[in-house]
Amino acid sequence: MASITDFSGGHSGRETQWMLHFLISLTIVVVAGGYAVWQIMTLGHAAFNTTNAGIFWGLPIVLYDYFLLTSTGLVMVAAIYHVLGVEAFRPVAKRCLGLALAGLMGGVAVLFLELSNPLMALWATPLNMQTQSPLFWKILLVGAYTVLLAIVLFNSIKQPTVRPNPLVWPLALLALAITLVAGSVYGMMAMRPMWFGGEIPVVFLIESLVGALAFTMVFSHLAHGFRHDRMSDELRWLFEGPLARLFGALIALHFLLHAGRAVTGWWSNAEGLQVWDHMLSGPLFYIGLGVCTLVPLVLMLLPATRSNGLAQVTSGLLVMIGLFIARYEFIIGGQQVPLFKGSWVQTQLIEYTPSMTEWALLGLGIGIANMVYGFAAWKLGGEDEA
Amino acid sequence: MAKWGMVIDLETCTGCQACTTACAMENSRLPGENWQDVLFYSEGDYPHLNVSWLPRPCMQCENPSCVSVCPTKATFVDEGTGVVLVDWNKCIGCKYCMVACPYGVRFYMDEAPVVEPDVKAAFPGEGRRQVWNPPFRMPDEYADPSKGIGVQPKGVVSKCTFCHHKITQAPEGVADLDEDDPETREFTPACVRVCAPKARFFGDLDNPESNVNRLIAEKGGVRLKEETGNRPKVYYLSGGGSPVVPGQRSKRRS
Repeated sequence: MASITDFSGGHSGRETQWMLHFLISLTIVVVAGGYAVWQIMTLGHAAFNTTNAGIFWGLPIVLYDYFLLTSTGLVMVAAIYHVLGVEAFRPVAKRCLGLALAGLMGGVAVLFLELSNPLMALWATPLNMQTQSPLFWKILLVGAYTVLLAIVLFNSIKQPTVRPNPLVWPLALLALAITLVAGSVYGMMAMRPMWFGGEIPVVFLIESLVGALAFTMVFSHLAHGFRHDRMSDELRWLFEGPLARLFGALIALHFLLHAGRAVTGWWSNAEGLQVWDHMLSGPLFYIGLGVCTLVPLVLMLLPATRSNGLAQVTSGLLVMIGLFIARYEFIIGGQQVPLFKGSWVQTQLIEYTPSMTEWALLGLGIGIANMVYGFAAWKLGGEDEA
Repeated sequence: MAKWGMVIDLETCTGCQACTTACAMENSRLPGENWQDVLFYSEGDYPHLNVSWLPRPCMQCENPSCVSVCPTKATFVDEGTGVVLVDWNKCIGCKYCMVACPYGVRFYMDEAPVVEPDVKAAFPGEGRRQVWNPPFRMPDEYADPSKGIGVQPKGVVSKCTFCHHKITQAPEGVADLDEDDPETREFTPACVRVCAPKARFFGDLDNPESNVNRLIAEKGGVRLKEETGNRPKVYYLSGGGSPVVPGQRSKRRS
């Protein structure tokens, strides 16, 4: 008889697993989402710890960008098979596309609760054509990306075998464009030196790809009950060979870019960059860059651990957390130096700690993403068999 | 068409906050969320203390970053006056304009109060979007949500309008709006009109005969944060002194 622990027990074992995945996620959505929506309905956005004093974008925006960039990265990883024709990535192509849509749903749900008039954005953005704004492009691109991703998944979800889909070409281009534009949203802000710079879109691209590989690693192992030996031969070969090496190389790039920006920011005397002093004086930075980036890098560099399932899952989870910390510190840090708020901001740097409602949105986003993914895997055949 | 601009003489300004109060009354502002404010800075410790202040309205930039970043064109430059306004009917509340404004002069309505007690709770509004019902407010006929004028509704961003509802009533071709001139007094922005030491001047920057142009030329008017390229239309006269705004780093104790 199939059970949750019997992942090799065939179809019914997997079905039970994804059903449980869906139900647990649904519970998280109900509890976390219910609390967040109740708080927003009663208190409005005063339920967030963002204020007019200077921190305008809080944890919900961090969450949205995190989910969005993970989604675009996953599509780009799927494109390695669909567009570049690298056969080795075929076993994870469908999983990546499914995760991309699930992550996007989680992020967009959080964004809709953060914006005051999200539905207005759907018509006011395309009708007013403010082409100078990175957000204008981001909204349009994300809209097109969502529709196309849904079409691609709809076409592929019931197909027994994965075949190259030409629609992934435009989808991957959209994913690339969204990632770079998302970086430009911050990189173009000359008045905020912490954010400003042409390298930011590239940083976002690297983070997007490394995050996508981390999610691919964790969810591929999850699909096999965290048993590396239960993967198919071709999937195991991918994870022990090209994917693990690519993951290691991207973690190294991410580390260099992050550490490089931290060092230059720390040494600079320019007004606005003093926030790096603040960030480097707290534990979060070292957890993000040290524990969550260096440790996975070492694990992926050493041949013995690179091909070890436990080390891969650990690396994936650490990178997922590390990227979240990096995104949080980047978005919040860029706003902590007060801009002319004068008498109402007495401190050198504006303090910010997410409220309970904002943390609940984290639960909601994770819950929705997993719920969508779990349901697709359970009922729609949205999981790779490999 | 006029290109309205403001000159603020820092040598004359006493930091009395009459401008802030008048603006709040005229435009129904929440305490602590002042479109026009006087920012105070202190350096050192008593008795070796230096206190300085900076009156700060919206700079009404010629090349405003807030307009460039708004994805729905809710923030726009009014063609007739050159004033930067917000169309509350189009604002989606993304707050990108607040992030992009180098001068911190934009305010979102749906946040925790900056100062206590919360006057929104003391004077609750009616309906879904009206957060509060201020006991002081401009006549309803002046209110225009498409220009961000009136009581700010929930979920949108607001900013100084240079008292757009007043200056657009001024006689055509007038060079300056001056509270001392009976013909233009009613059309002068509230902050300029109430300035007791007469540290503020308001006029047409495109008119070579205007008093604001004369002051900028003769007293060396400077603009804040020129490096951002926003080209503010608010000029400061500092008597030839050094830049007037202390940075956060310059306030740090050594």
